[in-house]
Amino acid sequence: MSTETAPATTESVETEHDHHPSHLQHHFVSSEQQFDSAKLGMWLFLITEILLFSALFVAYAVYRNWNPVAFAEASSTLDWVLGSVNTIVLLTSSLTVALSIHFIQKNDRKKTVISLLATLALAGGFLVIKYFEYMAKFEHGIYPGEAFAPTGSGYEYLAAIPYVPQFFSIYFVMTGIHGVHVVIGMGLISWMAWRAHRGDFSDEWYTPVELTGLYWHIVDIIWIFLFPLLYLV
Amino acid sequence: MAHATDDHAAHGHHIIPIPTLLKVFGALVALTAITVGLSPFDLGMFEIPVALGLASAKATLVVMIFMALKYDNPVNMLTFSVGVLFVAIFLVFTLLDTAFRGDMDNVDRLTIEERERLNEQLQESDVDAEDLQVAPSDMQ
Amino acid sequence: MEAAAHAASQTDAEPRTYLNHETSLWEWLTTKDHKKIGIMYLISLAVVFLVAGLLAMAVRLELMSPDFSIMSASQYNQTFTMHGIMMVFLFIVPSIPAILGNFVLPLQIGAKDVAFPRLNLASWYVYMAGGVLTVTALLVGELSTGWTFYTPYSSQQGTAVIFMTGAIFVSGFASIFTGLNFIVTIHKMRAPGMTWNRLPLFVWGLYATSIVQVLATPVVGITMLLLILEQTLQIGIFDPALGGDPILFQHFFWFYSHPAVYIMILPAFGILSELIATFSRQRIFGYRAIALSSVAIAMLGFLVWGHHMFVSGQSAISSIVFSLITYLIGIPSGIKIFNWIATMYKGSVWLQTPMLYALSFLFLFTIGGLTGIMVGVLGVDVHLHDTYFVVGHFHYVMMGGSVIALLGGMHYWWPKITGRMYNETLGKIAAGLVFVGFNVTFFTQLVLGSQGMPRRYYEYVDRFAELHMISTIGSFILASGLFLVLGYALHSLFYGKKAPQNPWAAATLEWTNVAAIPDPHNFTSTPLVTRGPYDFHKADEVFGGSGDGQARGDGAGSDASRLTPPEAAPSAPKEDASA
Ligand code: HEM
Ligand SMILES: [Cu+2]
Repeated sequence: MSTETAPATTESVETEHDHHPSHLQHHFVSSEQQFDSAKLGMWLFLITEILLFSALFVAYAVYRNWNPVAFAEASSTLDWVLGSVNTIVLLTSSLTVALSIHFIQKNDRKKTVISLLATLALAGGFLVIKYFEYMAKFEHGIYPGEAFAPTGSGYEYLAAIPYVPQFFSIYFVMTGIHGVHVVIGMGLISWMAWRAHRGDFSDEWYTPVELTGLYWHIVDIIWIFLFPLLYLV
Repeated sequence: MAHATDDHAAHGHHIIPIPTLLKVFGALVALTAITVGLSPFDLGMFEIPVALGLASAKATLVVMIFMALKYDNPVNMLTFSVGVLFVAIFLVFTLLDTAFRGDMDNVDRLTIEERERLNEQLQESDVDAEDLQVAPSDMQ
Repeated sequence: MEAAAHAASQTDAEPRTYLNHETSLWEWLTTKDHKKIGIMYLISLAVVFLVAGLLAMAVRLELMSPDFSIMSASQYNQTFTMHGIMMVFLFIVPSIPAILGNFVLPLQIGAKDVAFPRLNLASWYVYMAGGVLTVTALLVGELSTGWTFYTPYSSQQGTAVIFMTGAIFVSGFASIFTGLNFIVTIHKMRAPGMTWNRLPLFVWGLYATSIVQVLATPVVGITMLLLILEQTLQIGIFDPALGGDPILFQHFFWFYSHPAVYIMILPAFGILSELIATFSRQRIFGYRAIALSSVAIAMLGFLVWGHHMFVSGQSAISSIVFSLITYLIGIPSGIKIFNWIATMYKGSVWLQTPMLYALSFLFLFTIGGLTGIMVGVLGVDVHLHDTYFVVGHFHYVMMGGSVIALLGGMHYWWPKITGRMYNETLGKIAAGLVFVGFNVTFFTQLVLGSQGMPRRYYEYVDRFAELHMISTIGSFILASGLFLVLGYALHSLFYGKKAPQNPWAAATLEWTNVAAIPDPHNFTSTPLVTRGPYDFHKADEVFGGSGDGQARGDGAGSDASRLTPPEAAPSAPKEDASA
């Protein structure tokens, strides 16, 4: 472990603040240790996110296993074209956020900011498309839970099939919580873009950008699983 | 302890070249296209495994390259794998119940009340056998 | 600068300590010092424990006899519900990690702080937010679901359930933050030479606990969220009236809550290893087995949740599988018990208060674990489920295990935390009262349950009257012991003898290398760890004893001065900071 190989400093370090990189917190011995810690912490946080979503996937699996027909019928009313477009949008945003890290590692601040802004725009695009999808469903009385009352051709027949409401409940909860994560991600990315613009980061220290990138990729991965399960099969 | 830039690279801050990133992106798009393209076909029981397999392939690409787990400290890989493992455990053990709910019909098919009624009827029909008892095995 | 001030302060009569450094209320509330955060948790949790304990006394009073009553049936339901919720979610789950883990972990591994001090402070605030929501839940309505929140009853209850589940959702984050912080701290912040094989076992216990916290807590979070949505939007996942499946709720709930019992007990195991080794003056027997069995329990603990659902109507195949895996859990638990006993064998056991708690733990946890195996047997549990036997079982493990270990740990580290010694005689008396009171209270409940007394009942038939009376009397003995602890603890804060740096002659870093009251930055110089945490067997060479076996302890009776405390670990080579 880094702590074993890297010789530890002592209290005397405190007098040497001037020689310290400004980002190094006093309780760490080295930038390396601080970076590794932050990254491990982030990975741990990411698995909590995965487990958070896991319960929803389990609920999906259980109800689908019990009611395959209802799920197939309900799923066929979702717009797979919009779903596919949104998948591509998120994949592209994953690419741009990966590029932003590439650029900051090369100390190219301008391109870093541009990549982050591109990511932000793509994330916004995702939400806009999602908004139209939701609206199209609300128009036909497709709501989560009790309010579920399908109307209009192409939807009315759903009312007769039991357990279709469960599909839409799960659909709205899953995509809703995913959407909340997208919004949080957009906040983080904007903040990173601002800080990168301000010149906080360099090839020496860019941990926050990297962690935000990791978070954003997880949001993408969740969607990678949501998409086929909800829209296609 | 100012850090030299090459020092960083040496410590696993791997810079992923742009062509690699683009190739991975291309693969992700291709896999998405395959997923969508396959969806009109009825794959029967393979539908879910195929869809999940393709999604897992995409997720693996993102995790390994975009998230750079491939070049990262092994402990992060371990962390991630443990997380995925426990999702699988959650899923499998819950399905072990829900997919087999009501299995093992080893209990008497009649309710206790029904059994008692049957018991009474039998006793009424045969007044000679006062202490006639009905064992569960008589009911099969 | 700081170091200069530090050097100066050392020559003063009063050395700088974390307690006399930055003492204003504002500085406490914004502190990032793990030790202060530990104390803030201690105070908050003590309040919760007091309130939840008083609720328990109310329950016991109500059940004292069949014809005596102090409250209505619905009040009774609310009382045991709040008792359970507060004790489980707001007290025992955070207790040992948040109080002692926070205080001791960085000291034991030779670090200046945890990896993320700000996150650590955030954890306390999030926990407090959970507390506020709990109080709100109490104010807005009745909560009578029991701590398990089973649907459909819970999804049809009023707004109180929404606030309470919200509180659990929120305080879950506190737990996640702590766990995440500890894992990273243990991986990345160890002092030079502090290899994995030299980690004190308390650290191993916390490590295993943290894994469970990180993996399991998100699931209870989302479960609570779904329950809220079930109530507000009627999404129909859990409520059978809407086509949902109530058993699915139980799966979600126990996927967290069984592992949560290991969140409660694993750090207790850790404390026990410290106490047994230190007070037996022996190297711990089977260090690796103890360390790794904690991790094994953490992992295996995720595979048994269905044993709470044997009579729920889940499939028979899963009942059988869950029952079988439940037996397996007994193995690593048993390994630990045997190792602790083997550690005491031929050691010089020194019966100070912490050790009395450790011995209580051995006895009580063994009963708790064995009754656990009993209810883990599928056929037996059909009879025992939802009776007082289960209540007896989980109090033996949670109170007899976790809380007793917490008490032992608090006594053990009290001198380091406060710089004062508590009154040893009163300590021993209190430990005795707690032990006796506990058994009188809960052993009777095991008997009651096996005779068919159901749990969560307001009334009961006359044949249970005597045992209920005995149980209530026991609970008074138990409470008197606990109040005695509270009393002499507060007393010692002001009038206690000043504690020496290492009153127990323990060998871990927080005793050997940290001042009597720790410095704000813990170590004056980062230690270089050159030996294991319990190397008492090498006492003479390593600890600089005089060679007459004194440093091993010799069953020194109650005379602490006859023990030679181990020498401090040397300082790590100073790194040239500008290199
Ligand atoms: C040897 C290890 C253990 C085994 C085999 C075991 C087994 C069981 C089983 C089978 C039940 C379900 C009984 C029923 O509801 O019918 C149960 C309940 C319970 N156990 Fe354990 N247990 C063990 C250790 C622990 C520990 C260490 C704790 C906590 C520190 C704990 C806390 C609980 C609680 C709180 C319940 C009751 C939950 C409720 O229904 O309210 N157990 N245990
Ligand atoms: Cu359990």
